[in-house]
Amino acid sequence: MIAFQNVSKYYEHQGVLKNITFSIQKGEMAFLTGPSGAGKSTLLKLMYLAEWPDEGDIVIGDFHLQSLKPPQIPHLRRNIGVVFQDFKLINNLTVFDNIAMALRIKGVSEKEIKNLVSEALKKVHLRHLSDSYPRSLSGGEQQRVVIARAIVTGPLVLLADEPTGNLDPNTSIDIIKLFEEINLQGTTILIATHNRELFRNTRRRVLKLDGGNLIGEEIG
Amino acid sequence: MTLAYSFKSAFQSLCREKWINILSMFTVASSLLIITLTAFFLYNVELVASHLPDRFSLVAYLNDNISQEEVQGIVDTLKKRDDIAGLKYISKDDAIKELKQTLKDARYILEGLNENPLSSSIEIRLKRDFVTSASAKRISEEIKKVSGIDDVYYGEKVAEAIHLLKKSLQNMSIIIFITISTGVVFVAYSTVKILFYRRKEEIEIIKLLGATKGFIRMPFLIEGGTIGFFGGILGIIGALLFYFAITYRLSIVIPLLKTLVFPLEILILLPVTGISLGIVGSVIALGRLKL
Ligand SMILES: Nc1ncnc2c1ncn2[C@@H]1O[C@H](COP(=O)(O)OP(=O)(O)OP(=O)(O)O)[C@@H](O)[C@H]1O
Ligand SMILES: [Mg+2]
Repeated sequence: MIAFQNVSKYYEHQGVLKNITFSIQKGEMAFLTGPSGAGKSTLLKLMYLAEWPDEGDIVIGDFHLQSLKPPQIPHLRRNIGVVFQDFKLINNLTVFDNIAMALRIKGVSEKEIKNLVSEALKKVHLRHLSDSYPRSLSGGEQQRVVIARAIVTGPLVLLADEPTGNLDPNTSIDIIKLFEEINLQGTTILIATHNRELFRNTRRRVLKLDGGNLIGEEIG
Repeated sequence: MTLAYSFKSAFQSLCREKWINILSMFTVASSLLIITLTAFFLYNVELVASHLPDRFSLVAYLNDNISQEEVQGIVDTLKKRDDIAGLKYISKDDAIKELKQTLKDARYILEGLNENPLSSSIEIRLKRDFVTSASAKRISEEIKKVSGIDDVYYGEKVAEAIHLLKKSLQNMSIIIFITISTGVVFVAYSTVKILFYRRKEEIEIIKLLGATKGFIRMPFLIEGGTIGFFGGILGIIGALLFYFAITYRLSIVIPLLKTLVFPLEILILLPVTGISLGIVGSVIALGRLKL
């Protein structure tokens, strides 16, 4: 489902990702870990083309990013749910409308949007905050809104960048359980985190990144 | 489905940024009003000018001792020409009668004369297309060659002036129209640019969620069009106020204004023009989006 082949990314001639090669199977749930500044976020950004790789090829499902035509970019992104590290919530829209945005972009009917959004809100335990605005929510609540927005479309691939960075240990475990559930329904998931607690005892693959190099993998 | 959302989003934004939008609408309105008044002015000048050629004529003076048959011959010759709309024969006697009537109280001027000094003449009305200085001159020279015609008089200056006035007014109107239209486009451009930058962050986010360029653009095009539309509506209101002021107020003081014709139908064009120019401005403002 996800395949990196000798992918490199430079910022101002500084290699941030160096010759990365790995693949993740369809329906797999894996982790990506490494210290701050290792390049985890950058690696994820290359997949939804917030950044473009400088070298190498990336394949996501049927999308070959190297030869992707610009009109295809929205289609790629609609198939990838992203839990952004910096949330990227729209402040002048309610929680409901933030989550609904992912569906409106796809042209889903308003009636269906209502059902799907309230379902997603239920999964992250935020139904009571549907009409609130992001600024009035705690960091953990905002993070769960972002998660709801990422899963509401039922994406092929879910990329979560530090999805529990603002959550207490108990809520974090809840979120990982939620990801497990979504994974059971067939969604391929990659979770970037430097919190080793998250993948301990999950028996999942963990890719280890350091200084832009993939230095190996382990089983959590 | 998406379109409905685009409209909703556009109107929410219009309300959120109401002062910018109201200001732009009024700017568009006054611009469109200027265009309308220019068109209205031009229309009236054209109207007056188009009636002038009817009154404008050549006068062919006939030889002194001409016979009735010869006059008939000349009339027949002239009637064959395709640049002449109509003829009127004025005999010596008619001419002196008319002169006396014109002079009225001053007719004693003619008292010393025991012979009619005037020539008989034929008044020639040209077809509208030939009322230009050049063709009037050419026609008069051709007519002069007809035997029995002594001389031809034509109002060279008048023909030229009418022609020039029309031409320069047309040119002026075109310049005004282009300038003001560009202004309207610019107003829409800068408004949409401002709205776009205010929502830059939001746009960057929805791009990452998979929004197409069309989805991103649509609300802004709708906003630009709406500003143009309401600018047009306000323009209509302004033009109507102008119209009522002219017909019911000013024309009482200045009766000449009563003869002005105001084609109200053209007001329909204002919202249409507003929408088009608004959308053009928005398209330019959005430029080439990068996903
Ligand atoms: N737009 C950019 N321009 C220049 N350098 C950048 C840019 N984005 C990231 N970097 C650099 O690339 C490196 C990797 O950044 P990245 O955000 O991928 O790290 P990370 O592993 O996600 O770290 P964290 O755990 O703190 O989120 C860092 O050294 C960062 O300074
Ligand atoms: Mg990061």
